[in-house]
Amino acid sequence: MLEACVLATILCGFFGIIFKKNLVMKIVSMDVMSTGVIAYYVLIASRNGLFAPIISDAENVTYADPVPQAVILTAIVIGFSIQALMLVGVMKLARDNPTLESNEIEKNNTP
Amino acid sequence: MSTITIAWIALPFFVGFVAYLFPKLDRYLALGVALVSGAYASLLFAASPLTLELLDSFGVTLIADQLSGYFILTNALVTAAVILYCWHSGKSAFFYAQTIILHGSVNAAFICADFISLYVALEVIGIAAFLLIAYPRSDRSIWVGLRYLFVSNTAMLFYLVGAVLVYQVHHSFSFAGLRGAPTEALALIFLGLLTKGGIFVSGLWLPLTHSESETPVSAMLSGVVVKAGIYPLVRCALLLEEVDPIVRIFGVGTALLGVSYAVFEKDTKRLLAFSTVSQLGFILAAPGVGGFYALTHGLVKSALFLIAGVLPSRNFKELQHQPIATSIWIALVMASFSISGFPMLSGFGAKVLTTKNLLPWQTIAMNVAAVGTAIAFAKFIFLPHEKQESRENIRRGFWSAIVLLIGGLMVANVVYYEAYTLENIVKPLAIVGAGWLAYFAIFRRAALKLPRVLEEFEHLIGVMSLMLILLFWMVWTRSGI
Repeated sequence: MLEACVLATILCGFFGIIFKKNLVMKIVSMDVMSTGVIAYYVLIASRNGLFAPIISDAENVTYADPVPQAVILTAIVIGFSIQALMLVGVMKLARDNPTLESNEIEKNNTP
Repeated sequence: MSTITIAWIALPFFVGFVAYLFPKLDRYLALGVALVSGAYASLLFAASPLTLELLDSFGVTLIADQLSGYFILTNALVTAAVILYCWHSGKSAFFYAQTIILHGSVNAAFICADFISLYVALEVIGIAAFLLIAYPRSDRSIWVGLRYLFVSNTAMLFYLVGAVLVYQVHHSFSFAGLRGAPTEALALIFLGLLTKGGIFVSGLWLPLTHSESETPVSAMLSGVVVKAGIYPLVRCALLLEEVDPIVRIFGVGTALLGVSYAVFEKDTKRLLAFSTVSQLGFILAAPGVGGFYALTHGLVKSALFLIAGVLPSRNFKELQHQPIATSIWIALVMASFSISGFPMLSGFGAKVLTTKNLLPWQTIAMNVAAVGTAIAFAKFIFLPHEKQESRENIRRGFWSAIVLLIGGLMVANVVYYEAYTLENIVKPLAIVGAGWLAYFAIFRRAALKLPRVLEEFEHLIGVMSLMLILLFWMVWTRSGI
């Protein structure tokens, strides 16, 4: 069930990238898609347990797998730096294309 | 050796930031990093293959052997040539710093053997390439860069899902984990790599990006950066024999697709970009010997892009009426001969070696692609030329870069000097002859203009979903995996 929701989020983001006309909305859709991917990693990490893997006195607790979480942390950082970079690019483009419609920008900027 | 490897990987990133602090030294630092990579690559040819596993089985895995040696050498030579080309151009420290970081991340992609290190390397490549493409800060350059970053980032998100599916089965991200991984994992990962590497229809973002960038950036992108997506495919094909046929099929497909666009192209830089799409196919068509082909292609394609940058026009029609300087024409002809597989330059050896390693079903298609390449480059070879004295318009660094690249092509002949037998020489000559004949008979006057609808941004994203279905089906039907 949870897995289906996560995959639906990824697909929603993907279709958003295709169907939204505004460049900012496209970037937001990409963010939705990457949120879905992150959630998928967290979901897989918690297959065997939910507790944070920290050494403590508690006995026999089921730990979540730390590796996918550590990995996705890197991916989150990369993802938001790319989005920041894209938004800066969009800001520059917005001066000459105030509506930010991707078709218009594409038409103006392809030879 | 392992210490050297780690120090060598970290060096470019360190130097990249130092270049900011000492803007006066930027060019020297950049050239130094490229030379270090070259030295490291030659070390790899001498040493035995090295496998490094840092932090247990789920950590970083690196494989350094001859195959990565070829790719790293390509990277080193192309970067050095690009820096020499830019030497007197007054580019800022920012440009050189990004070049160094791009160089470093491409190096990292050429040596890693697990999906997450590869992901990080590919994303850093995406960012650094975007900054280089958008360096002129014009609207067009920003749009082209944005489009590139968008496509590659979306593809990498699919790739990440595939990577975690591999992890779920094996509790390890290493390439070897593809064996036994579910069908969808392989399909998702390959979608990411094929898109990033510019293969087949998912690679149609490449022509616009490579043709609209500045000359040195195009040379860098076409020469080495796309190969960061190719190398993992080759590596996987060598590690797992089940993946091998899929990679070969895509090699043939992209070789034919790229060349069929290239023969009708009227613009020099777009022709070169489409030829990149098709040449990458030659690397994938015979993964076992792909390294050597990647080396020769990287050298020749960056040389061609640098030469195309000093031609008076980008349009072939105008170039027909505007003679170019003979010295440039000679360099152009040498590079075109190499890429068409004419004996004397190492493009010939690479082509012979690849042809020998093809499977029977690939042979006809790849020969057609080779004829197509000869047709496309006949457009360059038969340009009019004359002796010109005034060469003010040519950059001072241009000749040193070209000498380095073409010299590299000549020296690389050593790798496979066995190619020079009578039988081997006759066949490429026949292919080149057939190509030139077809050029004069048909393509010289052909006015067909292929539609560019597939290169529109939304179609590029949409094609990813189609490719995903195609890949899924391909993996499914050969389901030994």
